[in-house]
Amino acid sequence: MQHGVMIGPGRLAPLAGTGTKLDKRGGGSPLRSAAVAFAIVAAFSTVCGQLIRLAASGGGAFQINMSAPVATGFARPDLVDRNGRLLATDVEMQSLFADPLLVVDRDEVVEKLRRIFPDINGDELRRTLAERGRRFVWIKRGLSPALAQRVHNLGLPGLSFRPELRRAYPAGTLAGHLLGGVNIDNAAVAGVERYLDQNEIVDSVSGAVQTDRRPVALSLDIGVQHAVEDELAAAIETYRAKAAAGLVLDVETGEVVASASVPTVDPMHPEKTMDARHIDRLTGGTYELGSIFKLLTVAMALDSGQAAPESVYDVTKSLTAGRFEIKDAHGAGRPLSVAEIFVKSSNVGAGLLALEAGTQRQREFLEALGLLTPLRTEAGAVAEPMVPKRWDQIETITIAYGHGLAVAPLQFAAAAAALVNGGELIQPTFLKGGAGLKRGATSKHRAGGDGARRRVVSRETSARIAEMMRSNVAQQGGTGRRADAAGYRVGGKTGTAEIAAGGRYEPNAVIASFLGAFPMEKPRYLTLVMLFEPERTAASGGEITAGHTAAPVTRGIVERIAPMLGVMPLTTEPSR
Amino acid sequence: MRLLALSTVFLALSSAFLLYALSNETRQLEERVQAQERRLASARGDIAVLKADRAHLARPERIAPLARAIGLVQPRPAQLVEASTAFD
Repeated sequence: MQHGVMIGPGRLAPLAGTGTKLDKRGGGSPLRSAAVAFAIVAAFSTVCGQLIRLAASGGGAFQINMSAPVATGFARPDLVDRNGRLLATDVEMQSLFADPLLVVDRDEVVEKLRRIFPDINGDELRRTLAERGRRFVWIKRGLSPALAQRVHNLGLPGLSFRPELRRAYPAGTLAGHLLGGVNIDNAAVAGVERYLDQNEIVDSVSGAVQTDRRPVALSLDIGVQHAVEDELAAAIETYRAKAAAGLVLDVETGEVVASASVPTVDPMHPEKTMDARHIDRLTGGTYELGSIFKLLTVAMALDSGQAAPESVYDVTKSLTAGRFEIKDAHGAGRPLSVAEIFVKSSNVGAGLLALEAGTQRQREFLEALGLLTPLRTEAGAVAEPMVPKRWDQIETITIAYGHGLAVAPLQFAAAAAALVNGGELIQPTFLKGGAGLKRGATSKHRAGGDGARRRVVSRETSARIAEMMRSNVAQQGGTGRRADAAGYRVGGKTGTAEIAAGGRYEPNAVIASFLGAFPMEKPRYLTLVMLFEPERTAASGGEITAGHTAAPVTRGIVERIAPMLGVMPLTTEPSR
Repeated sequence: MRLLALSTVFLALSSAFLLYALSNETRQLEERVQAQERRLASARGDIAVLKADRAHLARPERIAPLARAIGLVQPRPAQLVEASTAFD
């Protein structure tokens, strides 16, 4: 509103009585007005400048600081077989928890939850929910979607879900011993799963956060593993054995292609491996393996040059050491060559070869094969060999045919592999491509080794052993005749070891083993089949010896797995 | 003077608006990123379940009896030949 009258274009004349006031106010201190105006302009300019700077730098990194969430579990990489087929993976599952402060009716909560989860301890849950100072109580973890939905439908206040990762083993019990298992927090408790934790191949996570890690490829082949487990389960039925174990090992690389111990265990319940009936018999126990040890005795004799396959030994007489007398149950009644000692599995012959080599040489040879020191694989420590405290003449004789020294079957298989692969000791591995163990761990647990292959016998010795193994299966009279899978050139050695109980050997309780390899013109795969306490059945012709039990099981396994492993059948015997 | 004051006020207001608009846009983008991350995590979870399902369905223990039921048997040695000689 303007006060005044127009006296010219665009100009106002002050009204009477107002001029003095205006003049006094407007022209009182121009300097002060200017200062105030300057201050205002400066303030606004500062604000504008700051705003422009902020706007211009708006493209910078946007950062939110939050307190780090507490890790509640582990995200684990997938485990796959050598062909990429899934063996273990993490899946998201809901876990149920309660906030006691928000629970309205404890009795109702407990009663309704027990209808869905009968295994919940009602009294304990009621007591926990009464603790109003607590704001978080786990009730049930790892629920299936269906169960979680049923709880959700109850509509009970104070109950909530939190997503978590849980380990799933889609192949069921397949290779359960080897895989191991995890606990409620997805942390490993056994087997190869434990190897992942020990080598920090897992991530600590809060909630259901999948890992970005690449799958870990095992040396196993799911198809071969299934075939071995299937044949062993059938063998337990056929021969009414208490348990069975089987192994397929690549003798060139040391990769374990199949590792089975029946009864199997479910990796969802790894605690079962603690049960004596369910232990992994390939790595978790040591056994006197019987006559398959003669493979080592003969190799020792040939490699040192003390004997040739044609060298003849008098096995008609029994061997006496102290108060013990060793004789062959079904003696040939004539002197035998070394090759015949092997094929006819003469205890006296093996004893003579060991005595000729001497205790010291025998011990050194077994030491070189890694049979006297603990072995470790990615699945954990193998049961330590039970080496006799006193190792004299009698032990030298008995160890020559597989009694007196108890080793884990896997450890024996690794040693035997060196005798058929050209003579080099390999480190058994459960990872594809091997090298799963850190060098330090390998050298610590493998005598004199640094993880690299080490020659233990000559190529010639290895070739002769392979020939004898093939003869034992291919020739009439060989103890391994029933292992001859047509076309696949199997070789091997039988072993029937009586089980010691109460200080004496029980003749009707045996471990029947067959150590095989194929194709024998250039052995690539080694098999070990063990039947624990088979009975005399019609299928075995009333026998419990390995030649009538473990050998035919080996044939069944080789016939199934050889095509999977790319071993072509031949109609004629190839020359080495 | 008045012009200067008005200009600075206008400048301050427009800058404030610009900053608010940018901030708002950033928040929206962040929400979109979070939503995408949630969808990604959900999809990864679904993939894990589907992988496990597929492996469970393809386990040999299940396939072997099905194969036998439709008449498939183990190959005999005579049925296997090298691929290179199969068409000679």
